[in-house]
Parts: sequence; structure tokens; C-alpha cells
Amino acid sequence: MYDVIIIGSGVVGALHARELSKYPLSILVLEKNNDVSMEATLANSAVVHSGHDPKPGSLKAKFNLLGNRMYRQLSKELHVPLLECGGLVVATSPEEEQVLDGLFERAGVNGLLENEYQMLTREEALILEPNLSDQVSKAMSLPTTAVTFPWEMAIAGLENAINNGAQLLMNHEVTDITRSEHGFVVHAGGDVFEAKAIINSAGAYSAHISEMLHPKFFTITPRRGEYFVTDNRFPIVQTVVYPAPGKKGKGILATPMVHGNTLLGPTSNFVDFDAQHQTTPEGLNEVRNNITKTIKHVPFDKIIRSFAGSRPTADAGDFIIEETSPGFVNLGGIESPGLTAAPAIAKYVVEELVIPRFSVLPKSDFDPIRKKRVKMHELTINERNEHIKDNAKYGHIVCRCETVTEADLDAIHRPVRARSHGRDQTAYRAGAGRCQGAFCSLEVLKILSRELNIDPIDVEYKPRSFVLAAKTKGAQ
Amino acid sequence: MGGILQQCIHSGFGVEMFKEDLTGPEYAERYIEKMQLAGLEFRTNSLVTELHEDRTLVYTNPIEGYVEVQGKAVILTMGCFERTPGQINLYGDRPAGIMTAGTAQSFLNKDGFLVGKRVFILGSGDIGLIMARRMTLEGAEVLGVAELNPYSSGLARNIVQCLDDFDIPLYLSHTVIQVIGSSRLESIIIAEVDEQKQPIPGTEKTFEVDTLLLSVGLIPDRHLTAQAGIKLHPRTGGPIVNNRYETNVPGIFAAGNGLHVHDLVDWVSLEGERAGESAARYVQGELTDAELISTEPGNGIIYVVPHYVLKQVDEDVRFYFRVDNVYKNVKVNIYKDDELLKSLKKNVMVPAEMEMIKVANQDILDASRVRIEVEVL
Repeated sequence: MYDVIIIGSGVVGALHARELSKYPLSILVLEKNNDVSMEATLANSAVVHSGHDPKPGSLKAKFNLLGNRMYRQLSKELHVPLLECGGLVVATSPEEEQVLDGLFERAGVNGLLENEYQMLTREEALILEPNLSDQVSKAMSLPTTAVTFPWEMAIAGLENAINNGAQLLMNHEVTDITRSEHGFVVHAGGDVFEAKAIINSAGAYSAHISEMLHPKFFTITPRRGEYFVTDNRFPIVQTVVYPAPGKKGKGILATPMVHGNTLLGPTSNFVDFDAQHQTTPEGLNEVRNNITKTIKHVPFDKIIRSFAGSRPTADAGDFIIEETSPGFVNLGGIESPGLTAAPAIAKYVVEELVIPRFSVLPKSDFDPIRKKRVKMHELTINERNEHIKDNAKYGHIVCRCETVTEADLDAIHRPVRARSHGRDQTAYRAGAGRCQGAFCSLEVLKILSRELNIDPIDVEYKPRSFVLAAKTKGAQ
Repeated sequence: MGGILQQCIHSGFGVEMFKEDLTGPEYAERYIEKMQLAGLEFRTNSLVTELHEDRTLVYTNPIEGYVEVQGKAVILTMGCFERTPGQINLYGDRPAGIMTAGTAQSFLNKDGFLVGKRVFILGSGDIGLIMARRMTLEGAEVLGVAELNPYSSGLARNIVQCLDDFDIPLYLSHTVIQVIGSSRLESIIIAEVDEQKQPIPGTEKTFEVDTLLLSVGLIPDRHLTAQAGIKLHPRTGGPIVNNRYETNVPGIFAAGNGLHVHDLVDWVSLEGERAGESAARYVQGELTDAELISTEPGNGIIYVVPHYVLKQVDEDVRFYFRVDNVYKNVKVNIYKDDELLKSLKKNVMVPAEMEMIKVANQDILDASRVRIEVEVL
């Protein structure tokens, strides 16, 4: 019997696990995939939004602002990079200037402080972002806008929760939930678990999970966003550049990433579940055609990847954050600005909805700090060599584009065990550079197989997707 | 040592240099032996992470850690890398099973792993063609090769020996318009393209495959050039060099696929020898500066290497170049300023095959530029 089961290990589930691990409770996170945070958290804009944009009075508006104000400390405690680059919403026509004026008003209604949003002339905006397009006539500056690394945030939150006593099971897809005398019985991955409370943070699948216990009361439709990633040796912008918002959300942004790449996108289209991660000629052309409205000198020849992410959009348009039956908290439609809002939602749900059921006090021995990983590129040559003396693997660079060392690929020995070839690409950045793993994927695979003590043939990329089909004659 | 040669276990190497038909590893071994005989120091498992204009560089390996050294001369011979799925417009999901042909080659030839059982290849570059044969021989089924251009980008002998001999269809003027499969590749859709390279509706064909290999071009590796201030050429993607293979940074030389992408390793070796000799002369203080003669690609030519020739008595100059299309029954004209210096008749010229023309150094010393162009007869 667990006190709380969290369904889904995206950034929302991860930060709920961490928040709960501050209390003397038994916590289990169930994840259907072979790795954590493989859905909405994996592929999004990574922006910590200021809170200027959501509809006033909405849960999005409330938790966006609260979450933004928690990110700096959270990033420090979990040692997750945070690029405090600020943001600019830019207008390129008189009509857009009007939209911008409306947005300025909204930012105030949403509770941003005076120094958290300012209207700028073109000249003032150019000081913050020299690469604005020639059409930009006016801009709203949002200095609290920042950029995080969503995957590392989720993994770090989970690692910290695990170090404080939480448990995590991957490859455990929840197939049924029933009520019992003491709470709930959860069937997942062939196992049966009991829990006194459940937090449903299953993202795109949250409505499906909810319906195991409740009548249908919300629907999630994937809203696809397509992106380009550019080579990190050629930064394009130094601040997040938003267009004036239109009917389809915040529009196509240029976002500087924590590793130096620039992200161009996303588009916004409701699609079937099957198509939520598919790029299309129409979508990527839309990015190409719209991005040059707000910024210039876009090096389309420096694109190293395109991808599609998916936002779990609820039919009501707002976040769903409620205890829909005693002990069962539904978190539905946590789409943008969900990444920003996640820590604030977690704090609210845990403190207001979950903990009152258990009447427990916070643990005295909760450790909020996740140990910092060694980052060789931040060190001097002498400091690097000290690490190499201790561990020669720091001297062996596996991924030459992103200078990822063999020692960085210690995923298997960390609390959130990586088993997938895909993880290394995303979280540890082996293969995330301009060659996209062409040179290092074999070596990464061999390291994974050695460290996991499994046959190379059994290394997966995504769940149930093999990397290798067969061994040939004489292969070891 | 030996770079990409170590995974090229097919033969066809060394016909010019050694008058023998060697495999890649055998060819590499010849040079590794020469290096060892000469008593040259070398470091393996080492990555150079920095290179500066003063020829200092930083490398790292697990034994020595990070080490800073300064060379009296530095030669860049870093080879090239393959254009990736991310660099081309590949639409659809991002499942496992999509990779460059060279990656599949390293899995197969270095460690004996077959990356898929039903394979399609996009791009008719030589590595893709070689891998079509190689995967077939290892028991995979290769369903076809699609090439965006109306002509192959691989060598003619590879089309015959790797596709025709195994009944693998080559779809010219075709491209992959969608990849399908969320975890592992399940199928691809190809379509014919028009002259603007846009897919023609109604020409779609679906192939159920678990693997898509890409052979869509090679780009010189230039990860060290920016920091050192080395100027790159927009068409070759590699450094701009003179006839000594010296870059714009004195004492830093470049050769091989890191300079411009070759078809034949023998020519790579020739270029390497020339760059090595120049570097040795530089260290001895034997190289002197001179005015530059620029070389220009004219009609029908994509690029010419070297990009400059020094106005001083030296060995004959070998001009390497590629044509921009398939040409039949043409003349290649070399102009010294506007005066025709040399003219060669060619029955067929294709972009897949690098051309080389040797010009006596003293013949062009009074020129300010040399232009090479294709004249259609």
C-alpha cells in the first residue's frame, strides 16, 4: 500500500513527486514508457513564460506567474540550467501594435509587477535583441522570461524525489483503476498496486486515466507544434522573441536554448494521437515563412534537426486541477504554460489537496539539493585534469560535437535509470549535435549495453523499438 | 588510425597509389606502417577540442587528460561527415531506424551488427550504394534507392556492382516524402519530383521497411576552423587553400575530405602528401610569400581547388573540380585571365566524379586569375 501513486513522469508528475517527498509518505511514480518524460516534456519550447499571456482569471494565468517566480530557486536546488535571457513580444504592423497594447494591459491584470513588463520602442528593443527583423516597430519586454531544459528538470525532480524516498517504475502502463476500502487499486504493467491517493499527471492520456474511475468530463486533443533546431555554434537570438499573439496561441518563437542552439517554432494544429509527433511540409514551411517576420539572418542551412512536439490541450482550454473524487486528483490539459506552472501546481496540489488527507508534517531530513553533475566544459584545463585523474572516462570524449565524455554517460548509475538509446541523445546530449549521432551512436550503444549488462541487441531506442536488428557472423 | 577506411571493408582502394586492389583497412595499414617506420609519434583515442591561430591546440584522451601543444605547422586532415536526417526535409515521425549509411556501415563492419532487415536508401552517394550491397550480402532485403537528382551522385562502377548486380532498383528524380512509425520505422512513402524538385502528386509509392539509410552528401568537418580564424569556401564547405594547401592562417594546412569531398582515396593521399611536404617546408622556413593568382569556377563548374596559386616557381599545379550537371561531348577550357591556355575534350562528365587537370606552374605565373569552364559542343 502506497500513500500516493503518481501516474506519468513528465515534468508535472516529477515535480509532484518531489513536492510530496518533502513529507513522510510512501510515493510511487508509474510511467508507461521505458524512460521518463518522453511525451510533452520531451518536445516543447522550453520557455519559462512570464505569465503575461494567459487569459486573466484562468488557472493558467495564476499558476504561470507563481511558477515563474519559483523557477530560479528550483533550478539552483536541482542544478538544472536556467537561461535568464528575458523575452520580447514584437509587433510588426499597426494592427499588431494594438494587440501588443492589449497584451500589455493583460500582463498587468495577470499580476506582473511593473518591472516585469515594459513597452519598448524599436530602438530600445534592438538593444536587448539586435537580430530583430526590420519590420519590428514596437516590443513588450518581459525580463522574467527564461529558458530551462525541460527533460533535465523532470529527471532532476525525479532524482531528487527518489533520493528523498520516492519510488519510480518505468514500463508500467496503467490499465485499470478501481476503488477499494482504503483507497484505490491500480493495475499497471502486469502488477497490482494499492494507494490511498492518486495524482493523474498522464498528460495527453490524462482523460483516458480519469475515465477509468469517473464519467468522462474532459477531452484531451493533441495540439502539434513543429520546430527546427539550429547548430549551437551559430546562435541567432539572445532573448526569446515572440510574435504578437494570434488566434493560435503564442505563435512561432525564436528561442535561445540552454545549450546554445536556437529553437524555431512551434506551429499549432489539432491532430490525431497518431500524428502528434509527425513533422509535415506544411508545418515546417509555416515555421520558415513566419520566423522571418520577427527576426532576420535566419541560417536555414544551419538547421540540424526538425521535430514535432505535442501539447495536451483540454476542451475547456484551461488547466484542470481538481480533486474529482476523494483522494483522486486530476491534472488535465497541462499544456503551455504547463512547464512554467508545474512547480506551482505541485505545491498547490500537495499542500492543499493531498497533505490534508494525511495530516503529516514535513520531514526534517528532506534534502532539496540534487547533486551537481560535473560539467567539463565549464572548467579550466587543470580542473578537468583533476577529474580525469580520478576517473579516466572524463578524458574520453564520446560525442565530439557536444564534447560529451564517457563519464557523462552514467545514466544507468543514477537514480532515474536510463535504458534507452534515445535518452542519451536528449538528456546527456551524446548525438545531439550537428552530426546527430552519426559518429557516436555505435559507441553509446556499446557503453549502454556494457553498463546495463544487456546484449547490444536488447538496447532499445524508444519503448519496444530496437536499434539493432541482428548480429552477423562472428559478432561478439 | 585510418579514419573511415577502417569501416570500408570493400575493395577498390589503392589502384592508383599501389597498383593493387586493396580493402580500406589494408590501404590504411600501408600508411600506418610507413608512419611507424618513420618513427612518428601519434596519439589515438584523442580528440582535439581547440585550435588557435598561433597553431596551439588542445587535445584530450583518457591517459594524458587535456594537453596543450603548439605545432610549428598544423595539418587539418579531419575528413568529413554525412549530411544527417535533420539536415534534409524528412517529414513524419522520428522513430529508430533512420540513420546515415556510414553509421550503418560502422555498426556492420566494425562490430557485426545489422541495423535492419528491410531497407530503403535515400540518396545515391557512394556509401549508400556500397551499403545496399553490403546489407544484401548480410541477409537484409534492400528494396530500393531513391535519388532526388535525375542522375546518380555515386560512381558509375558502384551503380553496376552494388545495385544492378543485385537487382536493386534505382529511382532517379525521386525522394522520400514521409517516414511512418512512432517507435521503429514501419514504412516510407517516396514520390517522383518535378524539375523544381517538388513531389508530383499521384506518383507516391509505399515501401514497408524497418530501416532508411541516408546517403545524401558529405560535408568537410570544420569544427576547429572558426576558432582559429580559418576561412571556409561556401561550395566545398572546407577551408580556402593555395596550391601548397595552406589556409589563410600561416602554418595551418588542410587536405583530404576535410578540404573537399573526394571520390577516390588515392587522390586524398596525393593531396595529403602535398600538404605534408608543404608543412615540412614551412617548418624549415623554405616557404616564401608571393602574390596570389585566384582560381575561378566558370560555366558548369561548382568549385576549383586550390582556390589560389602563388606567383612563384613551384611544382605543377593539380586543379581539382566538379561539374554541376551531367555533360556529354564537351570541352573543358582553362583560361589564363581571358586567354585560352588549355582545352580538353571529354565525352562524359558527371557531378559524381571529381576531375583533375594538371597545369605547368610556369604557364600561369603571369596571370592574375585562372578560370575553368565547360564548353558544350
